[in-house]
Amino acid sequence: MFDGLGLLATGIGHFLTPLSLFNIVWATLLGIVIGALPGLTATMGVALLVTLTYKMDPDQAILCLMCIYSGAIYGGSRTAILLAIPGTPASAATTLDGHPLALQGKAGLAMGLATTSSALGTIIGIVALALIAPMLGEAALRFGTYEFFWLALFGVVISGQLTAMDDPLKGYIAGILGLLVAMVGMESLHAYQRFTFGMPALGGGIDLIPAMVGAFGFAEILAVMKRSAQARIVSSSDRVVPRLGEVLRYWKTILRSGLIGTFVGIVPGVGEDVGAWASYAAAKRSSKEAKLFGRGSQEGLIAAETGNSAVVPGAMIPTLTLALPGSAAAAVLIAAMFIHGIRPGPLLMTESPETLYQIVAILLFSTLAILVFGLTLTKPLLKVLAVPRERLMAVVYVLCVVGSFAITQRLFDVYVMVGFGIIGFILREMKYPMAPLVLGIILGDLLDLNLRRGLLLTNGDPSPFFTRPISAVICGIIVVTIMMSIPAVSKRVRAVFNRTKAAQS
Amino acid sequence: MDETGPGGTVPPAAIDTAEPPAMIKADLLAGLFFIVLSVATLVASWNMDRLTARRINPLTVPGLVPGILSAALLVCGLILAIRSVRTSAPGGWHDLRQAIVSTAAQRAGAVLLLTLAYALVLVGLLPFWLATGLFVFVFIMVFETWLAAPRQPLLQTMPWAFGLAVATATLVTLVFERLFLVRLP
Repeated sequence: MFDGLGLLATGIGHFLTPLSLFNIVWATLLGIVIGALPGLTATMGVALLVTLTYKMDPDQAILCLMCIYSGAIYGGSRTAILLAIPGTPASAATTLDGHPLALQGKAGLAMGLATTSSALGTIIGIVALALIAPMLGEAALRFGTYEFFWLALFGVVISGQLTAMDDPLKGYIAGILGLLVAMVGMESLHAYQRFTFGMPALGGGIDLIPAMVGAFGFAEILAVMKRSAQARIVSSSDRVVPRLGEVLRYWKTILRSGLIGTFVGIVPGVGEDVGAWASYAAAKRSSKEAKLFGRGSQEGLIAAETGNSAVVPGAMIPTLTLALPGSAAAAVLIAAMFIHGIRPGPLLMTESPETLYQIVAILLFSTLAILVFGLTLTKPLLKVLAVPRERLMAVVYVLCVVGSFAITQRLFDVYVMVGFGIIGFILREMKYPMAPLVLGIILGDLLDLNLRRGLLLTNGDPSPFFTRPISAVICGIIVVTIMMSIPAVSKRVRAVFNRTKAAQS
Repeated sequence: MDETGPGGTVPPAAIDTAEPPAMIKADLLAGLFFIVLSVATLVASWNMDRLTARRINPLTVPGLVPGILSAALLVCGLILAIRSVRTSAPGGWHDLRQAIVSTAAQRAGAVLLLTLAYALVLVGLLPFWLATGLFVFVFIMVFETWLAAPRQPLLQTMPWAFGLAVATATLVTLVFERLFLVRLP
């Protein structure tokens, strides 16, 4: 415990240099702008910035990427309130109450509440990150091949289930497609090249960064440019800095939403949007003013913003301790960490325990920056929202092309970006979620290697996959999750539950 | 029309209700595509080298996981296709066709044409700065004058498009070539 506090103090001290503070300021501001611009999402921002931070020191590069990530998740709320378009998918729930508030002439109040609740949500998540990650890291040291196989499968299944709530089948399909993409290239057990069709460029497999830039960048450009109507900005000049009482009145909602957001963040591949919706729904269920939800409820706005911001630190928990990305943007962060020689996973806490506390410190600093920028830069951010998307998207596409080219300097990666952009756009139009696809690409290798290595260790006997306690538990959860997503099964289970409830009362 | 089709955005209220007919038909096509894809990968995994010459454990053949994944995709594709066939979707094909030729789809098509021309043809053929400048200029001109809802006058857009094209081409080329030492195509 006290070791942790000491390491945290060192982590904070580590970034108290002029260069780090400068990086925090520009990266958080850029993150907020990226989040506020409709069509630029957090994942896309982080993926594009990986190239720009390529030459930096590892700690500074991660600092910039994390600041962009948390800045962008917050920045989306600005657009949700003023334009009724979520700046990033994370702010979709914010739109429901944020925009009605703006229409009532309370845009300033809405922006102020969004800013403070974002900051509070992140802080709840940060506390959880600092407390849970070391414990999980410790426990993960006991995980072997069998457990990691199940964890990889669990990540894809749960992400497929939760990111496509109304149709888990599409989530599963997206996950399987991602896993299949990961099968391309050299496999690591026997060094055999799979599905390369004689193309040397495919030998190393498909790189995550160009694939992500395509699926989250190019696909988003297509989706944004498709719409012909432009939204109108609704703003007012009322007070932005909220009174303490206005925030503290809803302390229960803040705490609940923060915890829900953190939990959603820990679940692999389930991101900020689900965190926001889950805490919004929970707040609505237990609120005294449930009728106001959707008509400009301050509580609803606070729940959504606390929920989505708490996901960011929450997502870092499995990302750092298990190398299982907690959200789509965290998947890019994992790729970036590998580029910079940081290896997330169970060994991180023994190899470089300072990394975890540095990330905690980064999140604290970026929260502070968000609070300052969010409450002061109201007017300049309004100007950002007025940038015509025709002009913006042309430049963004150029960055997508250069970004995917620059890391390995081959045109093949540009083609990968374009291919994933088109496939991603079509899949998204047909309501397939992108997160399981990305998770599949990153976890495919882990799943493949650990399944076959496990079978090799036991000489073909699959029983340890089911008999080791942790394996059995994860396997059970996967089976239940899949079974419950079959309508016929879930209907019957619910009927049985209702009957027992009726019998008891 | 394209409010409910796959070519348009679905209003929040419609999310809870049943799938629009066009989406059900689109699901059928997607299901068939996944069936074909999974059968192809399944066959490829089955025929993949089992490395018998290296005497590896037969349960660790490289084709094992791709084969399992293809089988899973086959099951999902079948469920998707069968589910779509069994759901009634009056006017689904008509709606789907409409969505494909809607204004939104045409705009997406125009973006696709320009972006592909830039990434696949211009980059590599022309010097990078020239290709980038051309792309940015043409993209802004097309979407602000010809394809905009209230069209903007040509003379008003041109300076902006030109300025941004020059700025983007110069900045991106300088930053990546000088600062990051990337040899641009």
